Amino acid sequence: MKDLVKFGALALVLLTALLLAVVAGDEGPWYFAWLVGTTMIVLIAVSSAVLFETQEANSLATHKETSQ
Amino acid sequence: MIDPTVVNLSRLQFALTALYHFQFVPLTLGLSFILAAMETVYVITGKPIYKDMTLFWGKLFGINFAIGVATGLTMEFEFGTNWSMYSHFVGDVFGTPLAIEGLMAFFMESTFVGLMFFGWDRLSRPAHLAVTYLVALASNLSALWILIANGFMQDPAGARFDPVTMRMQFKSFGALVFSPDAQAKFVHTSIAGYVSGAMFVMGISAYYLLRKQHREFAARSFRIAALFGLVSTLAVVTLGDALGRMDDLVQPAKLAAMEGLWHSARGPSAPWKLFALPDDEKQRDAASIGIPYVLTPLVAHEWKTTIPGIYALERAAKARTVSGIKAIIALKSFGASHDPAALAAFRKHENDMGYGFLAQRYAPDQDLSAITPALLPAVLAKTARASIPNVFVEFWSFRIMVGLGVAFIVVFAFGAYYSLKNELEKHPLVMKAAMLAIPLPILACEFGWVTAENGRQPWTVYGWLPTFQSASSHGIGYMIFSLAGFVLLYSLFIAAELYLMFKYARLGPGEHTAQPKPLPVPVRPVFGQPGYAHKPWQ
Repeated sequence: MKDLVKFGALALVLLTALLLAVVAGDEGPWYFAWLVGTTMIVLIAVSSAVLFETQEANSLATHKETSQ
Repeated sequence: MIDPTVVNLSRLQFALTALYHFQFVPLTLGLSFILAAMETVYVITGKPIYKDMTLFWGKLFGINFAIGVATGLTMEFEFGTNWSMYSHFVGDVFGTPLAIEGLMAFFMESTFVGLMFFGWDRLSRPAHLAVTYLVALASNLSALWILIANGFMQDPAGARFDPVTMRMQFKSFGALVFSPDAQAKFVHTSIAGYVSGAMFVMGISAYYLLRKQHREFAARSFRIAALFGLVSTLAVVTLGDALGRMDDLVQPAKLAAMEGLWHSARGPSAPWKLFALPDDEKQRDAASIGIPYVLTPLVAHEWKTTIPGIYALERAAKARTVSGIKAIIALKSFGASHDPAALAAFRKHENDMGYGFLAQRYAPDQDLSAITPALLPAVLAKTARASIPNVFVEFWSFRIMVGLGVAFIVVFAFGAYYSLKNELEKHPLVMKAAMLAIPLPILACEFGWVTAENGRQPWTVYGWLPTFQSASSHGIGYMIFSLAGFVLLYSLFIAAELYLMFKYARLGPGEHTAQPKPLPVPVRPVFGQPGYAHKPWQ
């Protein structure tokens, strides 16, 4: 039952997002661009931080190998 | 009789309060989404340093947010106190987005900002992250409704003048909200805020790195801000171009002034002025340097369009003024008699009504019916001249904004490149440039507003209501007194903001660690905490 409610809630979110995309894409292309653009900017910033952590981990591993 | 000094003082007061207020707004718009990005990394990786980063930058966001709200509130009241004619004329239309801003975005922002600051130990990580995103969304929604209202002033879509009530009445709410001008303005302004927020974080992080303080903290903050800022700057330049195209379509006088175009530009070889010293008095350039084959594709996005110059626009304004004078005389007659013939005459010239209002300033005793055939040419010439914004101010404010935007691309690109290569600390020049550039995006935003609002002159509602007719009938003494009060109060706000920002930025984030550590208390919702259900009021 819990999964069904969860599925229903997510389906509702998806429908809302689709409706928003259709309405905004049709009537307000720049608003749609803002929604997509802001999401993209945030995701790029988040990815850059995750990449930073990977680089730090690699650099730490290399440092350990050379010191052994 | 309308006193031009009172109108000018009202303009000065609104311009100053708007420029003061907009020193805070871009940081709120941008920092809120940067905080959301940092907290997202915290939720994904579980590394407490990202929580420290969200908390520290959140503290600076909080200072800026509080003072920004305080400076913004007065502006909405100014429409009623200093611009009562304007408020009467367009209140039904203009008041709607402002009311929605208050009821929707402002309430949402105020509610969630409290949860964001005080809910760390009371909400689960995903719930707190959702709250931070809602604060960011609400801040930007607040800007959306204000910019829809401003978009109406630039391009009055969704309304029609009613000669019975003597006001602009709503025709379509959808047309108001989805007006192309409002859309382009919102995305350009919102993302300019992202650039300001990113430069702020990047610059302060560079300061720590240069001083070899909080390295773990600053290098991560710098990385996030540099990438956030680089993509935002590229977007803001693209969206600025879209807004320029919009001006070409709906505000040709603004575009002509922005480009310093005295003569119409024909054909693909028309030069784009890189440098000029426009002389508004003589209506020519004292000096100019142009680059051929750039203007037409830049403005019209094609090669053959003719871009009207100021002389051509003044000629068109003269014809519209003749029609506008007839519209106002017919409107007055209809107001006195409700004669259908007068209404029909008004409807015939309705679209030029604004030019009739504009000509009133130059009519004997500001009475259009007193213009004799002998006086008409002089009234037309003065009205046509008044229909063009100040070219020098428009030309240079636009160029300073664009120049700064291009400089930001360079700073962010180098910052992002060396941060991605983990070689930032080998290039102190890049970090010094980032530090020195902290206030520049806010300055660019200010020049952007000068371009937008000086370019809208002489209208408060473009083509319909001149600024001259929009102000309240205060005395000069009252205006000077209130202006001095505003300058004093807002200067205190700025001083408080700078003092607090410098104080907390210098103090830095305190102790922090890059390594994950177990939380001392398991995160649980507030209603799940022991004792909550029993007498929570105690």
